[in-house]
Amino acid sequence: MATTSPKFLFTEGTNRYRAYKIAGFALLALLILIVAFAYNDTGSITLFDNSYKLSITRVTKSISFMVAILGLQVVAGFTGQLSLGQGFFFGTGAYISAWLVADQNWAWFTSLIVVVPVCFVFGLVAGIPALRIRGLYLALVTLGLAAIFPSLIKLDFLLPYTGGAAGKTVDSDFIPPSWLPLDGMINALHSLPLIGQYFGDGEGMSNKEEQRVWTFFMMVILALICFKLVSNLIKSRPGRAIRAVRDNETSAAVNGMSLSFHKTMSFGVASALGGVGGMIYVSELGIASEGDFTQLISILFIVGMVVGGVGTLSGAAIGGLVIAFIPDWASSTQNLPGIPERWLQGPTGGLILGIGLIVITFVLPGGVISGVRKIRGRFVEVLPKTPAIQLAGAGAAVSADESDIPNDSLGSESPDLSTTVDES
Amino acid sequence: MELFLNRISDGLSNGATYALIAMALVMIFKATTLINFAQGEFAMFGGFIALVLATERGLPMWIAVVGAMAITAVLAAGFERTLIRPFDPSDHLPLVIITLGLFLGINALAGIIWRFDPRAFPELFPSGNALTWNTVTLSWYTIGTIVTVAVVAGGLTLLLNTTKIGLAFRAVSSNLESSELAGIKVGPTLQFGWAIAAAVGTLGVCVFVASPFRQLEPNVMVTGLIFAVSAAALGGLDSLGGAIAGGLAIGLVQSIGVPYLGIPSELSLLAAVAVLMLVLLFKPSGLFGTPQVERV
Repeated sequence: MATTSPKFLFTEGTNRYRAYKIAGFALLALLILIVAFAYNDTGSITLFDNSYKLSITRVTKSISFMVAILGLQVVAGFTGQLSLGQGFFFGTGAYISAWLVADQNWAWFTSLIVVVPVCFVFGLVAGIPALRIRGLYLALVTLGLAAIFPSLIKLDFLLPYTGGAAGKTVDSDFIPPSWLPLDGMINALHSLPLIGQYFGDGEGMSNKEEQRVWTFFMMVILALICFKLVSNLIKSRPGRAIRAVRDNETSAAVNGMSLSFHKTMSFGVASALGGVGGMIYVSELGIASEGDFTQLISILFIVGMVVGGVGTLSGAAIGGLVIAFIPDWASSTQNLPGIPERWLQGPTGGLILGIGLIVITFVLPGGVISGVRKIRGRFVEVLPKTPAIQLAGAGAAVSADESDIPNDSLGSESPDLSTTVDES
Repeated sequence: MELFLNRISDGLSNGATYALIAMALVMIFKATTLINFAQGEFAMFGGFIALVLATERGLPMWIAVVGAMAITAVLAAGFERTLIRPFDPSDHLPLVIITLGLFLGINALAGIIWRFDPRAFPELFPSGNALTWNTVTLSWYTIGTIVTVAVVAGGLTLLLNTTKIGLAFRAVSSNLESSELAGIKVGPTLQFGWAIAAAVGTLGVCVFVASPFRQLEPNVMVTGLIFAVSAAALGGLDSLGGAIAGGLAIGLVQSIGVPYLGIPSELSLLAAVAVLMLVLLFKPSGLFGTPQVERV
């Protein structure tokens, strides 16, 4: 804000700010609707003869990564405990819910009743070393944890539950309820002028497509719940406590925060979220196989967190998209002018992510989100709610309805506020 | 008894290779208290370079290995200069992220260049057994790995104790700020540490895959790194001798402890991780490391 003054100013608590927020959520909802219905399964973009699939199943997969990265944000981003073991809990959640759904005939969402507490407890146990081990050493131990997961699920006594090296296949889909007119919705969108052609073929959706859209909606709602819960957690007292632990352990302890309690709890929360992510992953993929849960996935979660932005919630969403789509699109790039074909076959996604991670650390240490915020900051600025106590003076009764207090009386204190006099 | 002796011999040869990678980790940790998560991948890449030099350029195997060590040393020095030095050495998070990025990038690059099908690596040591007593055998490979570790350890000791750059390296690892004040160029000294570490790691991987039972492929060091890290932590992350002891101990645990305790072989990794966790929980300085003292 130092160089150019933003074009739009909003003050928290005013009607205009509320409208701004609502517009933001409406945009998000519109985006979700478009992703759900546009192209559906067949959609792809063709560039230099490569077709890049935009299918909704991949978006659902990225939602599972988002939730796992969200957990990583809690433990690494907000508590400052560098954990490379998120893949362990992701895998644990995936296998538990696969077993419950495939062998015990549970529904996907009810499996969370088991997944969340089990992963939470595992996370508490995994958090115990964090009480003594710090920084790099903790990264080592948690990386070890992530590395042993594939061998753990091949243990003899777990074979009946995990399916061993063959993987655990789950044949259970989300059947959309009959009252939901998905067919009607896509047909209505199809009949729109100009953009209608991107929405289906006007003949409704096949069962398979309906299931995919329905899965997507369910998972979006689940992920939104997770994001909302974490956002509340971060804003609340324990959230302030874990951030204090991150910023300075000694001063947090001196101020009465129990380091051991907050560290283990944040490991627990992170692991529970990892488990939820695993459940979303396996419900979308239909199979849990050990090769998906090596330490590589834990490192990819770190990539997602860093690329999105450490210690931000929206960074988790971006990170999930990045680690789901970049390897996928990289492998569908089969020919690109100027680059020999042999360089495009193979794990180009890993190369791009590795280089991207290094570049982001150099160029945008705050992740993509910090860049977005910088750009947005040139247009929009949100001012904090005017503290009523300043207006009323010390000791005076504070008006309950703060938004009714005119802002102009503050004009002398904060020059920025003088532009907002017209509203409120 | 004979089986037991054979297993000791196996354990020693595995342990010797873990010790080499662990020594590479220790070299970097001593100087910068950083753990290079990409160390195993540097070494794997070096192994491929050695293979290419030997098979495509037709160099004798040992010369190819030395050439690969030199090339990876130069590459690592370049990475240190461009990617590591710009960051504040006391803030670990960006550095760890950089090494993770190198891990992903190098692994993928090797996969793109050389593909993922395993390749046989030429033998570095004579095949067959040096000693045979009933069914107990001691292969030339085992002897070769142990000799290699001894030579590397001796060479590093000489390098650190008798040369000027070695003295500078020890000064920097003992106290970075004071040595900077004393006029030591810290940057190039650390670069030297990275180069030596990469060379030792490359040798480690070459020896590792030179076993007739192993092959070279881009993921060869992904779990090997975990073993090496446990070895380094067990010995004390800043002690070269400790890295050797730790490596041999982890190798022996893997080949003796695991079968005798009836643990399935996939779980040898679990044993290594358990050792790592226990050491860090109860004796974070390891067996031979310097205990860390924190001033508030």
